[in-house]
Amino acid sequence: MNNQEMNDDDLLRKFLNPERIEKAPEGFASKTLTRIQIETQSAKVNKDFFVKNRVPIISAATAAGLIIAAILIPSGETESVGSTIWKYIQDLEFTLPVINNNYFREFSLPGWVPYIIIGIFLLGFFDRALFGLFHKRKNP
Amino acid sequence: MDPKGDIFYIVQVLEGKINAFSYLVDKHKDKAYNLAFRICGNREEAEEIAQDAFLKAYRSLKDFKRKSSFATWLYRIVYNTAISLVRTRKNRVLSVEEFPVDAVDFLSFSSSEEEAADDYRNSLINFALQKISEEERGLITLYYYNELDTEEISKITGISRSNIKVRLFRARQKMAEIIRKVEMKNVFYHE
Repeated sequence: MNNQEMNDDDLLRKFLNPERIEKAPEGFASKTLTRIQIETQSAKVNKDFFVKNRVPIISAATAAGLIIAAILIPSGETESVGSTIWKYIQDLEFTLPVINNNYFREFSLPGWVPYIIIGIFLLGFFDRALFGLFHKRKNP
Repeated sequence: MDPKGDIFYIVQVLEGKINAFSYLVDKHKDKAYNLAFRICGNREEAEEIAQDAFLKAYRSLKDFKRKSSFATWLYRIVYNTAISLVRTRKNRVLSVEEFPVDAVDFLSFSSSEEEAADDYRNSLINFALQKISEEERGLITLYYYNELDTEEISKITGISRSNIKVRLFRARQKMAEIIRKVEMKNVFYHE
């Protein structure tokens, strides 16, 4: 520090008392903790949403998976899903420049898929109905 | 002072004991609030900034790497929150004339002459702080109030140590000039 700097520093230290800090207002800690608790609870509610709706979510995901699988497996073939997907990916470079309609025409859902999908949706609906019924009884 | 230290309570919070966070809030609230207040110059805003900072700290506690102290990490959040808030609003520049005349004016609000003089000095410092940039206000607060060295300040602000020295020099110079001007004005007032 040169003389000028030292003079400025001395002057500031004369006026500025490090012990004289502006203290947080009364109730600051409790207000902050309340905000944190609210935040934690809302995060829990968001987490609970997935727990509560796990059946419809799983149903929808399974249905979507089956639909995709049905699209990928051409009817009448006994190939595994993995090899079909791999074949599909390998065919991409040839099919992308020109849209091959025949490929899509061969797609068909296996006969049991619609029953499974309907069953999953019915179970999901049932789950929601039962949850609503018991939830109402618990919290009238 | 609790011998267990911040890390003990941080581990507790991470284990799901939210109440352990109250120790960290209680311990650091004043310095966090002071930093926010000195940067923004407004009590309501400072309270909001400090609260937001604690909330952000709580949310990202799992990302706290413990390379620095919890205080340094928290001050960094307070500093950044306060600086961004101040930059979004237009500051009103006060003139030297707007500053209350001298310690005598503070006597009516203070119980003793000594307290009045202390209030006067504190107000003059606040006044001078409002005349420098928000970044400089942060540096002055961290250096003089929080009594941190340039290395710690560098971790908080993200400014290099050499740059901090230069900026502190300029800020100090500006504040000293303002204080001298006000003091000079007071001399004329009394003559």
